Amino acid sequence: MKAGMSLDDPSSKRQAYRLKKEENRKELKHVKIDAKASSEKMDLPRKRFYRQRAHSNPFSDHQLEYPLSPDEMDWDRLYPHFVDEATGAMTKEVTIADIGCGFGGLLIDLSPAFADKLILGMEIRVQVTNYVEDRIIALRTNHAETNAYQNINVLRANSMKFLPNFFHKAQLEKMFFCFPDPHFKQRKHKARIITNTLLSEYAYVLKEGGVVYTITDVLDLHEWMVKHLEEHPLFERLSTEWEDQDECVEIMRNATEEGKKVERKKGAKYVACFTRLPTPEIV
Amino acid sequence: MIHPIQSSLATKDGTVLFFVVKNTIHTLRWEEGRGEFVAIGMWVDDADNSDTIKAKVREEQQRQLAENEAKRQKTNDGNSNKPSIKEAKVPVPGQGAPPVFKHIRNMALSRDETLLMACTDSDKALVVFELDYTNAENCLKLRKRQPLPKRPNALTTTTDDKTVLVADKFGDVYALSTKEGVVQEAALEPILGHVSLLTDIVVAKEADGKQLIITADRDEHIRITHYPQTFVINKWLYGSKQFVSTLCLPSWGPNLLFSGGGDSLVHSWNWESGKLLDSLDISEIVEPYLGDAQLAPEKFQNETNSLIEYAVAKVVTFANIPYIAFFVEQTKVVLICRVDPDIGAITLAQKIEMPFNIISLSSALSANLLTLTLDNRDSDDSRFAAFISYDGTEFLVDAEKNNAFEKCVLHKFENDPIVNVEPRDVYPLYHIASLRKRGEHFS
Repeated sequence: MKAGMSLDDPSSKRQAYRLKKEENRKELKHVKIDAKASSEKMDLPRKRFYRQRAHSNPFSDHQLEYPLSPDEMDWDRLYPHFVDEATGAMTKEVTIADIGCGFGGLLIDLSPAFADKLILGMEIRVQVTNYVEDRIIALRTNHAETNAYQNINVLRANSMKFLPNFFHKAQLEKMFFCFPDPHFKQRKHKARIITNTLLSEYAYVLKEGGVVYTITDVLDLHEWMVKHLEEHPLFERLSTEWEDQDECVEIMRNATEEGKKVERKKGAKYVACFTRLPTPEIV
Repeated sequence: MIHPIQSSLATKDGTVLFFVVKNTIHTLRWEEGRGEFVAIGMWVDDADNSDTIKAKVREEQQRQLAENEAKRQKTNDGNSNKPSIKEAKVPVPGQGAPPVFKHIRNMALSRDETLLMACTDSDKALVVFELDYTNAENCLKLRKRQPLPKRPNALTTTTDDKTVLVADKFGDVYALSTKEGVVQEAALEPILGHVSLLTDIVVAKEADGKQLIITADRDEHIRITHYPQTFVINKWLYGSKQFVSTLCLPSWGPNLLFSGGGDSLVHSWNWESGKLLDSLDISEIVEPYLGDAQLAPEKFQNETNSLIEYAVAKVVTFANIPYIAFFVEQTKVVLICRVDPDIGAITLAQKIEMPFNIISLSSALSANLLTLTLDNRDSDDSRFAAFISYDGTEFLVDAEKNNAFEKCVLHKFENDPIVNVEPRDVYPLYHIASLRKRGEHFS
C-alpha cells in the first residue's frame, strides 16, 4: 500500500483534507440545505485528495452498509428534498441507477436532464464514493436557491452482491454501466459486471421496457457485454437509430470522466443499449 | 482410533443408512427382525488427483506462455521470434505442505431413491451411484463421475429426478443429467449464479407443478428462481441477518421453508408470499451448551474475550409430523421444535443432549427417525452415532439401534486401514463457522 500510507501520518495534507471533508459530510449530507443560510459558495472537492487504487475486488468481504431489504432503506437521508413533510414518506423512488458511477460525472449531467427522477450512483471504492458525496454536497450548497442536484446521490455498495437489497422488483427504468472494469484475464471474467447470471438480477430490478446502457473503450469487453446481453432471453438490443435519438446516450458519451479521458486520447467509445423484454409465461 | 463419521443419510423408511468416513461411503441395512445393521455396500474415492493437478498446471502454463508470447509480439510488432523453451514445472507437495483431504460431501438421494449422489473433494466432482440392493456384495454402482469447475457445496434433484442441480462455492448452479455421460468442463454453463458462496439448494413445487429453485448464500440471501426458466428470478426472501447455512423444505406445510445460519435465529418463511413468518431466537436455549469452541477467533475477539459466535449447521424435518430438528455447530444438543403448519410459528418441544459434539444430522423422513453422527474422538471407539425416534408423543434416543450400529461399525472397521487413523490425521469436521464474514477489506 503506497498511496494510502500517509493516512496514518497526522501531518499529511491529504489526511487533514480528508478529515475536514468527513466532518463536513457528517454535518451536511443528510440535511436540507437552506437557501437563505448558505450565501457562501463551497469549493468543489479536489480529486487529488481522494486517490485510491483503481480496482476493488467485488468478491471480498468489504465493510459495507446495506439494508436488510429494500423496504428498510432510508432513502430520505439521501434525497431530503423528496420527503413529504407531513407524512415523512418519500414522494418518489429511485428509478435510474448508475452502477459503478466512479467520480460521478454522469450523475451530475443526468441531474438536470431528469429533474423529476431520482438518480442513484453506486460505487464500491470508498474514497471515490467520498469524492462524489463531497461533490454533490458542494453542488447542492452552491445551487441552494434553485434546489438543483437534489435528485442525485451516491452510495458505497457492492452492486454485484447487494443490488436486490436496495431495489424492488421492476423498480428501475434505466441502468448505466459506464466504462466498467474490463478484467482482461479470462479467469477473472466472473468479476465482470455483465455476466449471464448477473443479468438475471438486473432484469429483476428493471421494469419492462427499462433500458440497460453500456459504454466502454475496450472492444473486447464491448463484444463480451453485447454477446451476453443478446444471449439473455430478457434483453433485446436497441438500434443505432434509437441510440442516436436518445438523450442519455449523448450524455453518457460525453459526461463521464472516463469518457472524457478517452476523448482526450482520441480513443474509440463503444455503446450498446438493451431493452428489458416482458417476462415470458412461466412454464 | 477409528475416524469419526462425517455425515449420514437415510432412506425415507429408515431401513438403509449411508455414511461417510474420510473418503469412503458405507451402506448399512437395518434388519428389524434381528435388531441389527448389516453392511451392504461401500465405495472408496481412490481417484489420484495428482494427474488432474498436473494437467491443470500444464494447461495454465501453456496459457501463460501463449499470453506472454502474444504480448511480446504486440510490443515488438512481431519482430521477436525467440521461442520459449521453458518446460513446465509441476509443483509437488513436500514437507510442511498442507494435508490433502479427500472429503466426500453433500450426499443426497434422488426423489425415487434409486440413485445416490455425492461430491468428491479430490477432483471437485459429482458422483452418481445406482442403488442395486439385489447385488449382495455391493449395492453401490458408480454410474458417473462428473468433474466441475469449482467446489460443489450442495446438491438436489429436479422433481423428475432427471437432472441434478449442483450449487458450488463460487456461487454458480449447474444442471447435470443423472444419466451416464460426462460433459467437458469447458462446455458447462451455469444456469444461475450469485456473487457469493452458495450454501444450500432445494427445489420447491408450486401447486400447478411448476418448479422453483431456492438457493442460499453467505451474504444473507435466499433467492427463488424459476426452473427451467432460470433467467427469471421470482423473489428474494429478506430477513436473515447473517450467512444462511441450511434450508429445509417440509412436505406438510403449505409453502413453508425453514432456514438457519449465523444469526442465532431459525426462520420460517412462506416462499410463495415471500413473507418471514416466524424467527425463533435460540440464543437463550443454546446458551448452556456453548463453550470455548464458540469463542470468536483471537483476531476478531474483544478485550474481555467474551465475544461468542455460533451458527445453526443443519435443519431437518419429517414427512408426516410438523416438527423440525436442528443443532448448532460444535455443541452436544439437538433441538426439536413443533411448527404450526398454518402460520409457521416455531416452538421448542425438546432438547436432547448427546455425549459428544454433533457433527451431522439427517432424517429418515417417513420413519420419523433422526440419525446424528458424533465427534467421538475422546470415546475410545464408541458412540459413533445416535438414533432418535418418535413414539407418537415424544422423541427418544433409540438405545437398541445405537448399540447395534456400534457393534456393526466396530466389526466392520476393525481391520480397515483407511478409517483407522492417528488422532492428528482426523479430517476437519466443522465447516460452518468459517462462513462468517469479517469485512476485513476496507478499500
